[in-house]
Amino acid sequence: MRLLVRTFSELCITAGALVVLFVAYLLYWTGVQADSASAAQIDTLQRAWTDTPVAAAPAPARVRTPYVTGKGIAVMYVPRLGRDWKWPVLEGTGPDVLKQGLGHYTRTAGLGDTGNFAVAGHRRTHGDPFKDFPRLRRGDAIVLTDGTTWFTYRIDRGPYRTVPGDTAVVDPVPRKSGFDGPGRYLTLTTCDPEWGSSHRLIVWAHLDATRPVTDGRPQALDS
Amino acid sequence: MYGWIWRHLPGNAWVRALLSIVLVLAVVYVLFQYVFPWAEPLLPFNDVTVDGQ
Repeated sequence: MRLLVRTFSELCITAGALVVLFVAYLLYWTGVQADSASAAQIDTLQRAWTDTPVAAAPAPARVRTPYVTGKGIAVMYVPRLGRDWKWPVLEGTGPDVLKQGLGHYTRTAGLGDTGNFAVAGHRRTHGDPFKDFPRLRRGDAIVLTDGTTWFTYRIDRGPYRTVPGDTAVVDPVPRKSGFDGPGRYLTLTTCDPEWGSSHRLIVWAHLDATRPVTDGRPQALDS
Repeated sequence: MYGWIWRHLPGNAWVRALLSIVLVLAVVYVLFQYVFPWAEPLLPFNDVTVDGQ
């Protein structure tokens, strides 16, 4: 009997310790890993960009190498989310990709192309990239670079709350976004509420300006 | 359970304490490296896409 009670209490303590450890893992450790993984991804991108001569880029009919799942395609800056807010955008939206940064929906348009460049990111855990997502407002800049061009998108609508199955939000011309025809759009998605998954938060933006990287950073980043 | 482990560890109390710490660290390592990453997608706070991928 005593052995039984003792074993049972030990199991309870073990379960409790397990839960505490798991919370520590989610709140702290995934963030540490995401920080180093995203920094490494940005590093890889920047190294690749410095290795290829920029001078060859401004040809108008530039052919982009196809995106490879899990590989970086751009770096995103959102001044509203913080001056130092900077995350790599990788191809794909699987869990392994989103651990290292933001994920580009594979079936959506390429960066700066006609259509919808749709990107998903974690609201919480794994570095909390989109923690302050509800603070985004109409007119906010979303700046991306692919090594040759700076793309400045401006938010038109959001944050818009929807259900997880609403795949129309990443359509080339998203329903409910207010866009009335084809254009160069960008969609960000994350989960809502902060720690839940019952809904999704969406913002839509359109391409406002582009400039070659040789002309320096866009003003939107320093305002 | 823990008493049983303690009794089956070799050496004197100090050696056993050291071995216990090593065992605990090994368990934590396995949890953080393999078990938690596996368990995490089963929980709801990582669904951030709209197509359920």
